[in-house]
Amino acid sequence: MLADALSIWGSTVRPVVVALFIAAALALAWPSRAAPVAAEVPPCPSAQDAPDVAKLVERTEALLEGRTSTAVMVMTIQTPQWKRTLKLQTWSKGDDYALIRVIEGGPRETGMMTLKREKQLWNWLPRAARVMKLPSGMLGDSWMGSDFTNDDLVRGNSMAKDFDATVTGTVLVQGRKAWAISLRPKPSAAVVWGRVELVIDRATCLPLEQRFFDEEDKLARRLELSDVKKVGWRDFPARMTIHPAEPGRSTSIYYEDIAFDVDIPDDTFSLHRLQQGR
Amino acid sequence: MLVQLAWRNLWRNRRRTLITLAALVLGVMGIVTLQSYRESAFAQMVESITTQLVGHIQVHGRGYQEAPEVGTVVADPITVEATVRDVLPGVRSERRVLGAGLVGTRDTAAGAMVLGVQQGGRSFTVTKGRGLDDAAAAPAPAVLGVDLAAQLGVDVGGEVVLVGQASDGSVANDRYLVTGLADAGTFELNATAVFLRLADAQSFFGLGDGVHQVVLRLPTDDEDVATQLAATRAALDLKALEALSWNEMLPELQSTIRVKRQGQHSIDVIVFLIVGLGVLNAMTMAVFERTREIGVMLALGTRPRRMLALIVTEAVLQGVLGLAIGLALAAALLYGAGSVNLGDLASGDVMGIRFPSHVTLRLPMSAVVSATVTIVVTMFVGGLLPAVRAARLVPVDAMRAR
Repeated sequence: MLADALSIWGSTVRPVVVALFIAAALALAWPSRAAPVAAEVPPCPSAQDAPDVAKLVERTEALLEGRTSTAVMVMTIQTPQWKRTLKLQTWSKGDDYALIRVIEGGPRETGMMTLKREKQLWNWLPRAARVMKLPSGMLGDSWMGSDFTNDDLVRGNSMAKDFDATVTGTVLVQGRKAWAISLRPKPSAAVVWGRVELVIDRATCLPLEQRFFDEEDKLARRLELSDVKKVGWRDFPARMTIHPAEPGRSTSIYYEDIAFDVDIPDDTFSLHRLQQGR
Repeated sequence: MLVQLAWRNLWRNRRRTLITLAALVLGVMGIVTLQSYRESAFAQMVESITTQLVGHIQVHGRGYQEAPEVGTVVADPITVEATVRDVLPGVRSERRVLGAGLVGTRDTAAGAMVLGVQQGGRSFTVTKGRGLDDAAAAPAPAVLGVDLAAQLGVDVGGEVVLVGQASDGSVANDRYLVTGLADAGTFELNATAVFLRLADAQSFFGLGDGVHQVVLRLPTDDEDVATQLAATRAALDLKALEALSWNEMLPELQSTIRVKRQGQHSIDVIVFLIVGLGVLNAMTMAVFERTREIGVMLALGTRPRRMLALIVTEAVLQGVLGLAIGLALAAALLYGAGSVNLGDLASGDVMGIRFPSHVTLRLPMSAVVSATVTIVVTMFVGGLLPAVRAARLVPVDAMRAR
C-alpha cells in the first residue's frame, strides 16, 4: 500500500534479475520430454488447409525438443533507457534441469550463473561470490510485466497439453504461407493467458510467431521466431524475439551454436558445484 | 449594571447554575482534550514525515515521481544543494539513492527497498548494532529493517547478498555485512528496507555522483510549505529536475488528515448541541420561575429589549465562565499529563505512516478558538429563546401568574 502512497518508494519492489530472462529463454527453447529422432517425427502436412492441429502442435514441439542440449546464444535486451548484449552458455536436461552462464557481459555479471533444478532457481552472483535462492513467491509472479514470465521458466510450454487448438485459416507472415492457429486454454489448465495465437509455417511446420493475450484479451506479448538453421536433421529457428506490450522494449535471443542430445555430466546441475562458482 | 444584575441572578439558584456550568466545563474539556490529542498526533506524524523519511520538499530527476526508474537521477546533487541553500536559508538537505532489489542469504531471499543514505542522515533509527558509521572496509556495511532481518533470519554480524538492476541495465550484485537493525518509521519499510552508505549504493546502481532524491528539511513547524516550494522551483532547472512538497508526495495522507479533522468537527457540533439544549432548558426554567419578578420589572418600566439583554447575558456569562474553567482544567490536564502512551490501543497507520502511540500533548490554538466560538454561539442561541419569551411577557399577566 505504501508503495503507491509514498511516492519516494514509488517503484514497487520488483527485483530485476536479468538471469531470469535467460533461464526463461532456455526453458522456452527446450520444453523437452522425450527425445525424438528424425524418423519418429511425421512429415509436415504442408498441403492440407486444415490439418489435425493437435498433431501439428505436438509435431512442432517435438521438433524443438531434445533430451539434452547445449548452446551458445547472444541475448539482446532493448529498453527505452538502454540496450545491452549478453553472451550466454547453456546446458539443459529434460524439463527439470538447466544451467545458464553469462560468458560475456558487464564486469559485474560475467560469470553469473542461474541454475534451475525442478521448480527451484538459484543464482551464482560473481561479485558477491555467493549463491542466492530465488524466493518461491517470485516464481509464481509474472516477470516485471515484461518479456518473459515465470510461467515460461518453471513449466515449459506444453501447448498441446494445456490448450484446445483450432486452425482459423492461412496467413502470410514473414513472407511465408502459414497456418493461423487459435489456442484456448483448457478449463483445467493453470495457464496465465486468456488465449494464444500461433502461426506455423506451412512448408516447414515451424512456428513463426506466437501472440499471447491476457484475460482481458489484450495482446500482452508477441514472440517472433526466425533465421531457421539446420541442426542435425532438424530445422531450428535460431532467433527468438519477445516484444512485450510495453513500447520500446524487446528481448531477442540468437543461437550461435546449439547441439541436441549430447552427453552432459550430472554434476553440471549440482547446487554444490554452483556454490563454488564453477 | 446589566452584567452585575445577570451575575447576581445566576447565583440566586446556585445549584442549577453549578449543574449547567458542570455540563459546559465537561463539554469544553472533552472537546479540547480530544482535539488536542488528535492535533498533537497529526502534528507529530507530519513532523516525523518532514524531519525523517520524506522531508518537507524533495528534488528529483524530472519524471521520477511519476515513474521512478533507477536511471532517473539528480545528476549533480551538490550544485542543487548549494542552489537551494541560497533561496531557503537554514534548510538542511540530504542526498539519497533509492532502488528496488532482492536481498537474500543462501536459502532465502526477499524483495528489498535499497536506500543509500548519507552518514548521520535521519532516515532511520538504529535499534540494534552500530548503524552504517565507522564500519570495516569490506564487505560494505548494511542496516536492515527489523522485520526484514527477522524474515531472512539474519542478525547483526551476519551477511546478506543484494541483487538488483543497475541504471545501465546490468545485474548489480554484492555482499554486505549487517552492522545494524533499524526502525525505518513505517511497517512497509521495516519489512523491506536495506540501508547502505550513499557511495556504496551509488556504485551498486552505477549512478556515479547521481542520486534519486535530494531531501530538504526546512526550519519550520508549519504544515504548509507552498512558499518555500515555489522558491525552490524558481531556482532550479525544471527541464532536468522536479521539486515536490511532502503533501504532493503523500496526497492520501493529507486527505486522510483532512477527513479526520472534519469528523472531529462534527463531534464538536453534536457535543455542543447537547450542551446547548441543556442551557436552553436551564434558562427556560430560570425565566419561568421568575415570571412574576419579570412582570414586576417590566411594569416598573424595564424595557423589553433590556430584559432580553439581561437573560442573554446570563446565558453568555455562564458560557464564558464554563469556557474559562473548562479550558483551564483541560490545559492543566494536558500539560499535567505531558504525554500519553496508548501503546497498542492506538496502533494503526495512515497510508503506512504509523499513527504515533506515544503522543506529546499540546493545547493547540485551533482547539481553543473553536471551543470559544462554539460555546459563545451556543450560549447566545440557547439563551436567546427564553430571553425573547421573557421580553414578550405582558406585565399584568406575568404578575398574576402563580
